[in-house]
Amino acid sequence: MRHFKHMQASSANEAASVIGKGNALVMAGGTDLLGTLKDEILPTYPETVVDLKAIPGMDGISEDGDDVVIGALAKLADVAESETVRANCSALAEACARAASPTIRHMGTIGGNVCQMHRCWYFRVPDDRFHCRRKGGDYCPARIGDNRYHSIFGDQDGCFASSSHDTAPALVALGAVVKTTKREVPAEEFFKANGVRSNVLEDGEVVTEIRVPKAQKSAFQKFALRKSIDFPVANCAAARLADGSVRVALGGVYPAPVRSASAEAEVVGGIGESSAAKAGDAAVVDCRPLSNNEYKVEIARTLVKRTLLELAD
Amino acid sequence: MAQKVSRRDFFKVGGMAGVAASAVGLGIGSILGAPAEARAETITVTDFVYTCPLCGRQTTDYDALVKHFEEEHPEAAVPECATLAINGTEFKVQVEPHWTLRETLLKAVGLTGNAKEMCDRGGCGSCTVLIDGVPALSCTTLAVECQGKQIETSEGIAADERWRPLVEAYAKHDAAQCGYCTPGQFTVAKYIIEKYGQPTEEQIRAELSGNICRCGTYSRHVQAIQEAAAAIEGGN
Repeated sequence: MRHFKHMQASSANEAASVIGKGNALVMAGGTDLLGTLKDEILPTYPETVVDLKAIPGMDGISEDGDDVVIGALAKLADVAESETVRANCSALAEACARAASPTIRHMGTIGGNVCQMHRCWYFRVPDDRFHCRRKGGDYCPARIGDNRYHSIFGDQDGCFASSSHDTAPALVALGAVVKTTKREVPAEEFFKANGVRSNVLEDGEVVTEIRVPKAQKSAFQKFALRKSIDFPVANCAAARLADGSVRVALGGVYPAPVRSASAEAEVVGGIGESSAAKAGDAAVVDCRPLSNNEYKVEIARTLVKRTLLELAD
Repeated sequence: MAQKVSRRDFFKVGGMAGVAASAVGLGIGSILGAPAEARAETITVTDFVYTCPLCGRQTTDYDALVKHFEEEHPEAAVPECATLAINGTEFKVQVEPHWTLRETLLKAVGLTGNAKEMCDRGGCGSCTVLIDGVPALSCTTLAVECQGKQIETSEGIAADERWRPLVEAYAKHDAAQCGYCTPGQFTVAKYIIEKYGQPTEEQIRAELSGNICRCGTYSRHVQAIQEAAAAIEGGN
């Protein structure tokens, strides 16, 4: 890594004002950011890295009426093991438990996982060897290159990467709200990536809290090549919300998590073996796989079916 | 680093207590690394000397170093003086803000067990140390952020008489082959025994799932940890 200045923020607003003013980045667990800095992946190398870890009171997990409130600095391991989260939004607990490796879960925070950058092996090649769409270039190497892990639902602003955060589909399915220093964004909106960013955060905005409405029942499934330390080929979360409606979201199949209204429509009348299978078919009916990733369609279809069956009574 | 600075200048360390026991005396001891104190030429109890990493100027006063940076290198990041509590000993080291804990353990403290460079991206687990008793990847932790925390490395655990059965079990079951990943596995092994007392095979495999071993010694770790857990009184 090259030089940067290191600053310890004492509040989220202080950190937000520093990154809003100059060439600076915030860091929580550091498990994603330090790797990208070592490989010089970011278009601009930060002058200052602002450490959020020491901010007091931002790592709590508590209940607030009908919501579970999780501080952005709560470690993935703590969310995964939290009784409150397991009881009220088990899909999120399971998603956190399946992310990365046990050691990384002790370091990485939920705020960091939510703000994680896309994994795409062209984007992550060190030293800008592929000046792709997400780095301000004008093409996506995955369109004609080896795209076995890429999007099956087409591009988003020219980028075919796949979203790789395990928590993302869980938060979308549960209808969570991401609270930042400036505003509150529904998870469904939050992950709307544009060509360069993986979320809707603006300059000088830091995620502070995640509010997850308590669900009646929720489930999460992930398919990855290795059980541990692997990003999802595809993952899926489904939730029966407090009002009885069912929501389904897929991850790893598009630059942002995909909520599937057509799959949800199939299970309005109840979840059974056949309606879950139909929902799986409906979830992938619009997909447009690339040259090397048609296999992901089958995986996504099956994940939707299995996850929904977990919700069946 | 682009600038040449003699290792010795960087390694001036103010030790306040001795590392408990000496080298391990089993073959596995060399894999887990020798306690820092064994490297007497680098660990010198002395008035701390700060060295400018850019031009080599030395001073014993941190404020003078900061002033020197303001005057001579206004664009550069000022090195920090960090006190790291490693294996129960407080080490005072001069670190750059972008140094990872792994780099610092290797370059400034002289510990070689967990501090070998492997993937350096948080993907293999061989650099795992315990920070405040919890496993953390030293390659993706900044050294300046570890101040005020208790850092434990394989050297410290191996030198601790209480964890002797773990070292012996590792040697007996041959849980190291090439030995690169072993210090990381070994530190997690201590965490597992502390967390579970008498861990089951599933617990061990789940907790060690972030540690990659290319030689495939996984089943040996299970045997070694279970045997050590039984031998260590009150592992809980």
